[in-house]
Amino acid sequence: MLLFRGLHWEKNLSPEEIQQVMTRWVSWFDKLSEKGILKAGQPLAEEGKIVSGTGGQSVVDGPFAESKEAIAGYFLLEVEDLDQAVEIARQCPALEHGLQVEVRLVSRCCNAGHIAESLMSSLAD
Amino acid sequence: MGNRGSARALANGNVTQLTDHLFREEAGKLVSILTRIFGIERLQLAEDVVQEALMRALKFWPYYGVPDNPSAWITRTAKNLAIDVIRREALFRDKQDQMTITLQEWRQPESPDDAARFETEIQDARLRLMFACCHPDVPMDSQIALVLKTVCGFGVTEIARSFLVSEAAIAKRLTRARNTIREHHIPFEIPAGAVLEERLEAVLQSIYLLFNEGYKSSTGDALIRSDLCLEAIRLGLQLTDHPSGNHPRSHALLALMLFNAARFPGRLDATGNILQLEAQDRSRWDQSMLFRALHHLSLSAAGDEVTSFHLQAGIAACHCTAQDFASTDWSRILMLYNHLELLAPSPIVSLNRAIALAKVEGPQAGLAVIGTLTDSRLLESYPLSFVVRAELEAEMGDFHLAAKHLRRALELTENASERRLLTQRLERAEKQAICGVSAG
Repeated sequence: MLLFRGLHWEKNLSPEEIQQVMTRWVSWFDKLSEKGILKAGQPLAEEGKIVSGTGGQSVVDGPFAESKEAIAGYFLLEVEDLDQAVEIARQCPALEHGLQVEVRLVSRCCNAGHIAESLMSSLAD
Repeated sequence: MGNRGSARALANGNVTQLTDHLFREEAGKLVSILTRIFGIERLQLAEDVVQEALMRALKFWPYYGVPDNPSAWITRTAKNLAIDVIRREALFRDKQDQMTITLQEWRQPESPDDAARFETEIQDARLRLMFACCHPDVPMDSQIALVLKTVCGFGVTEIARSFLVSEAAIAKRLTRARNTIREHHIPFEIPAGAVLEERLEAVLQSIYLLFNEGYKSSTGDALIRSDLCLEAIRLGLQLTDHPSGNHPRSHALLALMLFNAARFPGRLDATGNILQLEAQDRSRWDQSMLFRALHHLSLSAAGDEVTSFHLQAGIAACHCTAQDFASTDWSRILMLYNHLELLAPSPIVSLNRAIALAKVEGPQAGLAVIGTLTDSRLLESYPLSFVVRAELEAEMGDFHLAAKHLRRALELTENASERRLLTQRLERAEKQAICGVSAG
């Protein structure tokens, strides 16, 4: 999973510069789609709430709007390992404008089939 | 520039094109049309709404891909943002309903008729904005900056880079221009009757200056500079396309710009050094641009007025239509310079006239004319005047004097590519001065 962190990094770009980032981003996006690596991606809205406390009694507006750390969107990738994901993140065309990309592994939830399989293989030994 | 389609478009088997400069062109279009709705006194607001619409594209497209019709997407987004602004801003209370209706009507064109009507509206709004930006009350240096920012969709950084001034200075010029428009109640309209003549002159002058800014190869970022020239040509085309701007003078300016821009591809050699006209490979000049230039030159001949644009276009045409340097029609060029010197006298024009004279009557005649110009302080700091003198002295066989002029020209030149060219010629002149061989 690639998390794109940073809002308003495009604030001072001219239309031409916005287009240049866009063009490079789209070709990066297309390449990942064509190879079947990119599984999903979405932008996240800037508005949001933070829920905390037992039973969620405290609900406050999140500090999203101005935050350099706020998540602008994400890509879900299917890759071999973390290194390959980092390699892909390095190609993000908005890095030079201050956007940050955080690479995280999405943990597979372990299912019963998985356990059975490993049991079977240990029995077979 | 890579034009790629979105994943969705790929899946549908059609590829969305992100055409070159789409965002810049959209920005220019939308600022013009929103200014017509918000009013010229709120020009900045129109600019902000359009910037926000482009930023929205940058928020969504990276995750969903480019929409099938990027231009329509940006237009729709800008329109919705504009409706939000009108609802929010108390400023618009008196005109709120009317503006909202205007925006609602401004829907995606469904038929070719709609599209054509919208196109006409945009043209009209653009020209109004040009006339407002180039109003005589707006300071000259602010005019071009504002046209670039609003009509052409350039960013402050780009404008600053092309004029070699700080971003702060450009921002100041823009603010001053916007304030002038507001405080002087400069109308957002295309003038009519006798006023049109005079105001059109100001618009043409502004476009001409913009082209010159780009054409000057002495400094700055080459890419941005050719962009400026092309932008000036686009503005000229928009002007001649409109009934109010369709004047012989406008065509003359457009022809002059097209002739000069057609030669761009041959101006530099493979290593990026400037080539003199004589050394340029004429087959590299842009033929289709030359044909368009000739077309507008013929349209400029309607009526009986001869402006300085006509004469300059005529001179450029002589160079562009000559098969090779040797067959250049110098006597015709000289005749045009004679007219130009009477119509728009300047030391630079006289210097160029001296070159043509030297070609027709020999180097001595050219030098004699330049001799009468030396009291011009402008020419004393103009490197090209020394280059011309060196050239003519070398033709006369005085290589010592030629070398002296070239050294002076070098002192005055900053551009690396020009310096290389001058250094080569200086070395040659110095060699010739020692050996006493005639110029090769």
